[in-house]
Amino acid sequence: MSVPDHPTAAALTAQPRYGDLDGHLIVAFEDPSCPRCAAFHDRVVPTIRDQLVEPGDAAFVFRNYPVVYAWGEPATQALEATFARDESAFWGLLDYYYRNQSRLSIDNVSRLTESFLAGTDLDETAVVADAESAAYDDAVQADLDAAEAGGVGRSTPAVALFRDGTFVTTANGSVSYDLIANTLGEA
Amino acid sequence: MSRSVPRLPTTRRDWRLMTRTARLVLSVPTYAVVASAASVAALTLFVVSLNVPLVSGVVVGGSLPLANRLRVLLELYPFVGTSFGTAQGGLLLVVAVLSGVDVSMAVYHLREHGLSLQTGGTTLAGVVLGTLGAGCAACGSAVLLGLASLLGVGSSLLFLPLDGLEFALGASVVLVVSIYWLADGMRGGRVAGCPVDV
Repeated sequence: MSVPDHPTAAALTAQPRYGDLDGHLIVAFEDPSCPRCAAFHDRVVPTIRDQLVEPGDAAFVFRNYPVVYAWGEPATQALEATFARDESAFWGLLDYYYRNQSRLSIDNVSRLTESFLAGTDLDETAVVADAESAAYDDAVQADLDAAEAGGVGRSTPAVALFRDGTFVTTANGSVSYDLIANTLGEA
Repeated sequence: MSRSVPRLPTTRRDWRLMTRTARLVLSVPTYAVVASAASVAALTLFVVSLNVPLVSGVVVGGSLPLANRLRVLLELYPFVGTSFGTAQGGLLLVVAVLSGVDVSMAVYHLREHGLSLQTGGTTLAGVVLGTLGAGCAACGSAVLLGLASLLGVGSSLLFLPLDGLEFALGASVVLVVSIYWLADGMRGGRVAGCPVDV
């Protein structure tokens, strides 16, 4: 199945992304509250960027998939509200969530999000207000629908891999760079 | 004397009985091979169960060269790929090794004395829990939280300090109990020419 026809790639250009969409494609479904997503983000995504995205061989697309701990849902709303304003701030907020998973909870996620965004150019109060009112819930639902329709399962992170524009497989867990590169024929 | 309630390994003597019996069974080359094969099979079941579409579509099927397929498969295992952290991978290896020991003792017991339904059931329960443990170790508990939600427990009420490794810990406990029951059932017999009793 080609990229435009595959459910995991629905509304692809509206998602946070590294790289151009004219080579291989890696669509990652992640939950900011998921520890293995943090490991994937910390250990695997940088190598994907260095080895596949920077040379122009692949694009890495992020999609929200809040299915683990409860604080992941408001965090996802905040990520979408941030992305709608500034993609760079979105990646920064995602990094912040992953680095601070141990101290984030449903009770403090809004306060800590606001505190982090205060260090950016964004209006942190407006972002948190949008997150709390689920102003960008359509975008979150689009990601959840893409995951469900694409059959990625509930083990996170989940990646959908496309080789030269054609769907190959999904993979669950913080799979290694070597697994992804071999599957894409880039090892 | 018959016992209506199954015993648990609670004393040092119980643990000595388990380790001595397991050591004696594994000293027989055939059963050492059975244990090794069962351990590898259990670990493979744990990791493959997380990525059935990947294994069927890329490792078994697909158009990649054999070397790439084998690499993809190997990358699913703990300490080779990055799917599991150190604690998670270590615990999965422990569960896999316990599964192997358990299966080899069960095969020995089955061939020599006939296996009870109870012991066979605990062996299977250990492997099933180990598989769930692998799933949770990789996904940060989404599977366990999903099961909890089916029981009406909201994810906000549930905190898993081991990020889902609770299942794998449960598997190791079940497997130890199973090994103990097997050893207990072999009490009074001989393995490799040596008495099982301590």
